[in-house]
Amino acid sequence: MDLKEKLISSFWAFENHQDEDSYLHKIRTEAIKSFEDKGFPSKKEEAWKYTSLNSILKNDYSVFPKQENAIEYNDVKKYFIHDIDTYKIVFIDGKYSSHLSQTTHDGMDICLMSSALTKPKYRILIENYFNKIAQNDSLTSLNTAFSSEGAYIHIPKNKMVAKPIQIIHLSTGNESAIMLQPRNLIVVDENSHLQIIERHQSLTDNPVLTNSVTEIFVNKRAIVDYYKIQNDNTNASLIDNSYINQKQGSICSVHTFAFGGKLTRNNLNFYQQGERINSTLKGITIIGDKQHVDHNTLVHHTEPNCESHQDYKGVYGENSTGVFNGQILVDKKAQKTNAFQSNKNILISDKATINTKPQLEIFADDVKCSHGCTIGQLDESALFYLRSRGIPEKEAKALLMYAFSNNVLNSVQIPEIKNRINKIIANKLGVDIGFDL
Amino acid sequence: MNKYTEDDLREELKTKEYEYGFYTDIESDTFPNGLNEDIVKAISIKKEEPQWMTDWRLEAFRTWKEMTEPDWANVNYKKPDFQGISYYSAPNKKPKYNSLDEVDPELLETFKKLGISLDEQKKLSGVAMDVVVDSVSVATTFKKTLGEKGIIFMSISEAIKEHPELVRKYIGTVVPQKDNFYAALNSAVFSDGSFCYIPKGVRCPMELSTYFRINQAGTGQFERTLVIADEGSYVSYLEGCTAPSRDENQLHAAVVELIALNDAEIKYSTVQNWYPGNAEGKGGVYNFVTKRGLCETNAKISWTQVETGSAVTWKYPSCILKGDNSVGEFYSIAVTNNFQQADTGTKMIHLGKNTKSTIISKGISAGKSQNSYRGLVKISPNADNARNFSQCDSLLMGNECGAHTFPYIEAKNKTARIEHEATTSKIGEDQIFYCNQRGINTEKAIALIVNGFSKDVLNKLPMEFAVEAQKLLEISLEGSVG
Amino acid sequence: MLKIKNLHASVADKSILRGINLEIKPGEVHAIMGPNGSGKSTLASVIAGKEDYEVTDGEIFFEGEDINEFAPEERAHKGVFLSFQYPVEIPGVSVTNFMKTAINETRKAKGLEDMPAKDMLKLIREKAELLEIDRKFLSRSLNEGFSGGEKKRNEIFQMAMLEPKLAILDETDSGLDIDALRIVANGVNKLKNKDNAVLLITHYQRLLDYIVPDYVHVLYKGKIVKSGTKELAHELEAKGYDWIKEEVNI
Ligand SMILES: Nc1ncnc2c1ncn2[C@@H]1O[C@H](COP(=O)(O)OP(=O)(O)O)[C@@H](O)[C@H]1O
Ligand SMILES: [Mg+2]
Repeated sequence: MDLKEKLISSFWAFENHQDEDSYLHKIRTEAIKSFEDKGFPSKKEEAWKYTSLNSILKNDYSVFPKQENAIEYNDVKKYFIHDIDTYKIVFIDGKYSSHLSQTTHDGMDICLMSSALTKPKYRILIENYFNKIAQNDSLTSLNTAFSSEGAYIHIPKNKMVAKPIQIIHLSTGNESAIMLQPRNLIVVDENSHLQIIERHQSLTDNPVLTNSVTEIFVNKRAIVDYYKIQNDNTNASLIDNSYINQKQGSICSVHTFAFGGKLTRNNLNFYQQGERINSTLKGITIIGDKQHVDHNTLVHHTEPNCESHQDYKGVYGENSTGVFNGQILVDKKAQKTNAFQSNKNILISDKATINTKPQLEIFADDVKCSHGCTIGQLDESALFYLRSRGIPEKEAKALLMYAFSNNVLNSVQIPEIKNRINKIIANKLGVDIGFDL
Repeated sequence: MNKYTEDDLREELKTKEYEYGFYTDIESDTFPNGLNEDIVKAISIKKEEPQWMTDWRLEAFRTWKEMTEPDWANVNYKKPDFQGISYYSAPNKKPKYNSLDEVDPELLETFKKLGISLDEQKKLSGVAMDVVVDSVSVATTFKKTLGEKGIIFMSISEAIKEHPELVRKYIGTVVPQKDNFYAALNSAVFSDGSFCYIPKGVRCPMELSTYFRINQAGTGQFERTLVIADEGSYVSYLEGCTAPSRDENQLHAAVVELIALNDAEIKYSTVQNWYPGNAEGKGGVYNFVTKRGLCETNAKISWTQVETGSAVTWKYPSCILKGDNSVGEFYSIAVTNNFQQADTGTKMIHLGKNTKSTIISKGISAGKSQNSYRGLVKISPNADNARNFSQCDSLLMGNECGAHTFPYIEAKNKTARIEHEATTSKIGEDQIFYCNQRGINTEKAIALIVNGFSKDVLNKLPMEFAVEAQKLLEISLEGSVG
Repeated sequence: MLKIKNLHASVADKSILRGINLEIKPGEVHAIMGPNGSGKSTLASVIAGKEDYEVTDGEIFFEGEDINEFAPEERAHKGVFLSFQYPVEIPGVSVTNFMKTAINETRKAKGLEDMPAKDMLKLIREKAELLEIDRKFLSRSLNEGFSGGEKKRNEIFQMAMLEPKLAILDETDSGLDIDALRIVANGVNKLKNKDNAVLLITHYQRLLDYIVPDYVHVLYKGKIVKSGTKELAHELEAKGYDWIKEEVNI
């Protein structure tokens, strides 16, 4: 039985136990049909031209989390941003881990999707927001069909959430291969401010496939900073589907730090609905081995006077492959849009590949839109300069690569994250650069 | 309702003929509508082609039959009915008009704006010519000069007869029959086109433009061009014409193949100004062209195009940089107005070491038109030190049009250096006011600004053509500012 | 030559000029000074006919003709020249090409033939020399990548080429070093004669040391609140604008 069939039959086995009249039942069954029609995406589809899922679909994944596994905090502490106080929503093999988590219902809800989907007091919010902006492409549909667990965050009006929230998914490897489908819903009401850190981490070499969907609603004048740290094992793959809906005057930034995993695909979609919206999409990718990272972004400008900035940097070593597929879409009504996109790449190995496709689709005339894209190597004269000052070649190269990717970090608001990313970069580049920020 | 008229009868007979197999009067000058193997054979026979050519066409036809029309381009149009077209029509020898007075005054007005001479106006609009203005003699003089240098320049039909070894060796080597839907169709049914061979070390002493301009009328909708620059030679080739051509054919599917052998250089410039349809978007030419060049060691191919015509354009002049140190260039201005749609760009395929490519694309959209740049830069694993620079700028005039950029960049070599930049902007009110204040009216100001925007490409055109192209830009955008 | 009567103008529904009266006769040099935002550039743009600005009341006569309905290029053809405070970049269009177009369009409006290329070249050379402009500069794209000073000098070069009747110089002195200021002022003075007139808009007294005005006006909140001779400029230099503001606010 291939994975598609297995998923479909498991779905029905599970869903038949559910209440057939429920609001969710309808959404789920429609979603599984959509997945059944479309199947997993193939390279024939323009959006998947450069990324093939074949190699990760052939594992025999268990598709429902079976048992609760416990982990000691000290064993996994290093995967947390542990030097600051944070809320934590932690999952182990797809199941919520209450002893590693720290949630709240005090004036806001930072808790679980499973309770939001089942408890009546959340019903209105779920009906207003759940699955409203997630698309019905095959992978998102698949997640929707299986959606039962994940993070549920609702911040009411005028609230500065004092601590960042960490959403951490750990997999123990107790199953020989596991497929996880977390589903997150984040609603930030007017004038509120929220910071989120998300990480997926496999603790063994057993294959993990995560197909995650996150819907984020950034209401009027709200501010959301989202950090995705992707530094997983070489047998763990991640398909991250994020949908962000922004209302008037809101500011949202997503930083994606892609340092590892077997195959990582980030579908990051921003839908602007209102004026004076600001969207920021930034990414650093540093990979090697046979790793594959694909950033697929969309910023859809629908109303006047909005801005978007995209800045993606990548360093590709060994047999790795990088893909950047960025789209800026400006509707006729969206006059005075400022949209910028930059994608810069360095190939440091003979076997590495980069495919990039920055697209502009513009239907309004009074706009400033541009994209730039480069592929190249480290600046030889800069390298020579450093070496002539006594810095060994390896360190000099690392320093230059660090400098190359570093400016993406300028917009990171949490110093501890900046620190952590710097350390990961230094580690990836295989040197102790000896600077501390 | 059930009235069976004579027309119905005739219609039925026509279709019946197909059912019963081939029936075409080869003596007639126009074939019946539709396409099948027999029509392909008939075209070949009519043109007195050798068997290998007939076979080649048939092979193409069989491939084409299995293909489907592509729809990935960013254009919307009603797919042509390929069985509704007549695939052979002998060049019309009879003049259409007896004097210029009979020609559409609007057309003549445009000729005047472009500064085209009276004689040429006659030629272009199909007016009978005096013996005195003998274009044939002009052509003969050219032929003599070219002949002295060993340059072969003739129609491809002639070349198939007179230089079969050259044609056979090179045709389809750059654009194979099965390359794409339209290329396959063209390979099966191409009517005519040009053939050019520049011998080793020869620098073609003139732009092969004037000659072409005089001779290009009536080459039909499936044109095939083959240009071979032998080692160390140079040729500058100009295709098309700034004059608007009121072509009746809706579908144009040309194929152009360029072969630049070691150290050779080909400069290929195109000005395309076919009928774009009227202001309401009715009519106009579908222009689906496959143009590609192959560069051997140290060779260079440079494509320059000014595209202002056609209702739908689908065109990607490309370079295969096979030889080490070879160079590919693409300079393009694409103007769309009213309901025009253009999806154009280039492919630069870097195979050899130290290969270099440059892409400069300027898109100008006005009215309700859609203008897309689509390009591919591919650096293969062996192409050490490949370089590419691309600049794609779009200018939008009015807020009912669209400008789109779809660059694909694929690099598989760490020594590659690629830079791609794209911008989209509009003409600023303040720029126009500045010009106004210096006494330049708005229409002229726009022309000036558009010319400035396109300058990097206009500069690449042969001198005399650049001037005409500039005027052409102005005319194409007339009435685009309200 | 120029007569402005009770001129009111607004932009984006914001009233900026509120009753300006000004008369400039042939041969005169007028200076307009005033704090930032008082409406100086607006006045210049309204005279030149910028369409964003709506004249809500009053009249502008140029050589006895009401020009309110005239397009900017028609005003230019009649001899109104504006040296912009912020000259606009036009990529790909060389200074020479731009000037050639401007001159020939103006000639066309007057029913004249295009200026022969030979004469054009001579004129360009002559005027470039007057303003000490390097010939290489003339083939660069208009204002693109020009320094502030180069832009201003280029404006005056264009003025010299077009020989207007009325030249409005909007802060042409700002961004110029002393040498450039001298060159520009010298250029203006050489072109000055009894038949044309100059309206200088400036913040600083120093330009007026080189181009001596017959009249100085102070513009404040969209009105000319004080007029005088060049002594007034000295007074402003010494005391600033505050005393005028106070006087007005009483
Ligand atoms: N296009 C415009 N839209 C809105 N306000 C404008 C515009 N142009 C000028 N203004 C406003 O008009 C006032 C006068 O400006 P301006 O004439 O440039 O002053 P000055 O040249 O004296 O410094 C300022 O408050 C300015 O902000
Ligand atoms: Mg001002």
